[in-house]
Amino acid sequence: MELSASALEHLSLAGDATHIPDKSFGKLVLCACQGVLLEEHRDVVADNPAFKDLDKAVLKSGYSGLVTLLLEAAKHDSTEQTISTILEECKYTPERVKELNKIFTIQKPHLQLLIGKIGSSFPHIVDIDWRLDYYMKNNHMEKVNSAVYLISLKTEVAGETELKEVQFSCSLEQLQDLVGKLKDATKCLEKISQV
Amino acid sequence: MLLAFEDSHKEHLSFLVDLDPEVLKEFGKISMNFIRKGTNPKVFQGAAQKLGVPVETVQHGVEGLMFLLTESCKYMLSEIDFQDSVMTLGFSEETRAALLDLYTEHQREVRDILQEMSMDLPHYRDLEWRFDMQLASRSLRHQMSPSILLRLVTEDEGERTSTMLETDPVNLVHMTRVLETALQEMKSGYCRRIVRNIK
Amino acid sequence: MEEVDRIIIHSLRSIGCDVDDQVQSLRQFGTELIVATVVRCLKIIIGDIDLPSTLPPGMSARFRLGASLANQVQDLGYKGGDLGYQTFLYSNETEIRRIFMFLVEKLPKETSQAADEPMGSSVLLRRAISIEIGTQLAAAWTPPFLKKKGIRSRTKPPGWQREGACCLQHYHSCQITTPTSVGNLAVKIPKELRAYYNKQMPYVTNQTPRHRDTAPSVLEANALEVAVQQDWENEWNQVGLASRLSQQEFKKRKQDRLLKLIRERLQQDSQRREKAGGLSGATGDLQQLLNSIESQAGAANVKTKGSRFANTEKLQYGKDEEKTMSQVGAAVPTKDTEEELERKRQEEVDSLRSELAQLTSDLEKLDLEVRKFTASKQQMEETIGAEQRDAEQKRAAYSVKKRTLDLLPDAEANIGKLQSVVDTSAQRLVNLAKQWESHRGPLTEQYRELRQYNSKRESEAQKKLEEIKQFRARMKEVADDARRKDELQKQLVSEYERMTKDVNRSAYTRKIMEIVANIKKQKQEIDKILVDTRSVQKEINSLTGKLDRTFTVTDELIFRDAKKDEAVKKAYRFLAALHENFEQLIKTVEDTGAVVREIKDLEDQIETESNKKVLQNLEKITADFQEMKKENTALMAKVKGKK
Repeated sequence: MELSASALEHLSLAGDATHIPDKSFGKLVLCACQGVLLEEHRDVVADNPAFKDLDKAVLKSGYSGLVTLLLEAAKHDSTEQTISTILEECKYTPERVKELNKIFTIQKPHLQLLIGKIGSSFPHIVDIDWRLDYYMKNNHMEKVNSAVYLISLKTEVAGETELKEVQFSCSLEQLQDLVGKLKDATKCLEKISQV
Repeated sequence: MLLAFEDSHKEHLSFLVDLDPEVLKEFGKISMNFIRKGTNPKVFQGAAQKLGVPVETVQHGVEGLMFLLTESCKYMLSEIDFQDSVMTLGFSEETRAALLDLYTEHQREVRDILQEMSMDLPHYRDLEWRFDMQLASRSLRHQMSPSILLRLVTEDEGERTSTMLETDPVNLVHMTRVLETALQEMKSGYCRRIVRNIK
Repeated sequence: MEEVDRIIIHSLRSIGCDVDDQVQSLRQFGTELIVATVVRCLKIIIGDIDLPSTLPPGMSARFRLGASLANQVQDLGYKGGDLGYQTFLYSNETEIRRIFMFLVEKLPKETSQAADEPMGSSVLLRRAISIEIGTQLAAAWTPPFLKKKGIRSRTKPPGWQREGACCLQHYHSCQITTPTSVGNLAVKIPKELRAYYNKQMPYVTNQTPRHRDTAPSVLEANALEVAVQQDWENEWNQVGLASRLSQQEFKKRKQDRLLKLIRERLQQDSQRREKAGGLSGATGDLQQLLNSIESQAGAANVKTKGSRFANTEKLQYGKDEEKTMSQVGAAVPTKDTEEELERKRQEEVDSLRSELAQLTSDLEKLDLEVRKFTASKQQMEETIGAEQRDAEQKRAAYSVKKRTLDLLPDAEANIGKLQSVVDTSAQRLVNLAKQWESHRGPLTEQYRELRQYNSKRESEAQKKLEEIKQFRARMKEVADDARRKDELQKQLVSEYERMTKDVNRSAYTRKIMEIVANIKKQKQEIDKILVDTRSVQKEINSLTGKLDRTFTVTDELIFRDAKKDEAVKKAYRFLAALHENFEQLIKTVEDTGAVVREIKDLEDQIETESNKKVLQNLEKITADFQEMKKENTALMAKVKGKK
């Protein structure tokens, strides 16, 4: 994990007891987590009475430093030790290091979930529906008499809450082919999981 | 079942009744060609000159024969039914045999052609899959997200389209199970009864 | 035996056999457990093998399983006596122990090989992947509407997995701002800026238009700054240090160089366009850009060129405007018919166009001429300069010649005068030369000294520079080393964590050492006992010898006297009886010893026999036999029923 010079500067501000008193530090870290994680809490630090008497410029600076640290640490899946090393370089007291690590360990899965959602994907199949029809005749031909499956794949597309559908029909033989291929894929996964 | 002929159709076919079996066979070949590729008026003229009859008569005859073939294929007439239907038109023994030969020989082909003409839904053609494991991304360096990429190729009216899809192991297993049950459904007693009874 | 059992049970547990914690020795193994563990061992040794791991209920199936187990074990190369279904189904302790010892010996070779392999990161990754897929495959499917945005969170192992795509977003980042150096007292921040920081500036999580862009923006800002820093450091190390400038100077110089480069390139291009004749709006824009760059750089000499270009441009546009104005003015008063108007206009446009063309060509011609004139003017100036220099020279020559001519009439006196003048001049020259010499000596000395000093300093600086470079390289190396070692340590720690779960090696060795010590002690004891026995034997021998000898002596003595005395005869007889009795007694004692030994042997035998659980097994066999019979009859009945 690497932090830029300005981020380190912000971070050491947040760790300085003359700027941010010990009793507010934990709250500030918690606010940073919430501010990143939840949209409704994005400005929660401004409303918190614990920071009423602090110099706002310093608070903003320290806050951004903490946000950067938390996000970078989550991005690199850093261990407590790595974080401690960085914080000690920023002249943090052991108590503060411990407090930050405690909060980070709890919040890490949430933060990682948040940044893990950044990416792209093809339409993602989440469900499947099928219908079996018996095709008897059409206007050109009688006695067709074959089974026809109608298959609908429900897919999720990034950024949309509604499910999209991919529909197609297939005969019995074609369905057998399809299922065979899917089974093949499932078997492959099972094999990998047993290595 | 027997085919019910309309009067005009009968009239058109009546030209064929008196023809020599060899000539009738020739007419049969021409009709099959037309069913395959569409009509060609030049052929009518040639035939009409040879036989010394008006072009229209030849045309009606060939068209009547084509209609006879497609109709009987549409209803999947058995050999006896076909013969009986033709008999009502007054064909002789030999010409009937020639027509029957023509029918049995080309029944499959004509049905295939008819099948192509009928309404078509986008249907399954091919599926390719690939298993990926996402180990890191720009924003998260240590992660393990398995994903299965699927390319589904479907065909609609002869036009192929491929769709890229993605899924995860849990949904893949689910999908496989659901489709397997769908496949099993066809072997259930209920479905078999329906297949047996609808013929 | 206990030790052996413990080791066997431990290794069986380590391969995943379900052995109860209370089981301490192989004696406690039941038939089911034996079969299960043997099957497990075989599965691990052979790998792909089709055996049920639990005892089947049917008797015949059990028999078959036992037989196939025996076959498999023998195939592996077991040579400890005959092996059959009875070995497993009707077990006896020693045999089972032997089989397990054999199997366990076969086991570790393969498993330990895999464990001894250094755990490369690729193997770890592979394992992690397989574990992840295993857990995901084991999860039950849930419909999408039961999951929150397609994310399923797990409790065991803790984490989450994505099963949908609706939650995904692109990596979209915005510019974010943070207060700079507010904590640094050395840097003065303007009052207005401080007020902005205090009052207006939003918190970092509240800056992006959409909240979900916050994380990417923060990450991006950090990454950007780190990258810039790294790039700069690289450049500074490679080029910057060698230039021996301060950082600011170096940056300034680089900026200037870049600006100049851009300016030159743009100028070249715009001139090329100008020559090509096209003067469109694009070139105007370009010119503006160029001008702005120039004004930024503040280079005066280039500006003249650029402004001339701009002037011509302005001139031309101005003309166009004038023309259109006059055109409008001319068109208003005449009120002709539309056609005429049209025609006239057309004519006018044509004439104007031709005029324009002519003017442009005129302009071009004029431009060319101007250039030609400038060139010729320069040439002229040069020739004028040359002429002037010539004239100067000639004037000087003329004055010298005139002086000489003036001196000519009074030649003698003048020559003398001149001579004296020349002499004094020469004198003065010599004086001056002397003076110069006296000044020059110390100055050159000083100059040399300074030069030396300078060069020394330079070399010193060079040396120091080298040193700095070396230090930087060292620093980098050390940092790399530290990082590498950190990684290694991490890997080793993880490996160590895995190791502790493995077989407890040190405990094993300790136990083995103990056993060896025990055996040594026992051997010593046995030796002692042997020595004892031998000494006892020796004593016995000597005693018997002594006894024999005393007896013969006494016998002779009494026998001699016996002929004379009747009492002695009696005594002799008693002696013989005594001797005989004692001999018998000794024999009896010996016999007793033999019997005791035999008894002990027999007891041992009984022990081993009882170990074989013959009676129990017999009972079991009979019971099983009965059951088999029952099964057979049942089968028969079924067959009959079918018929």
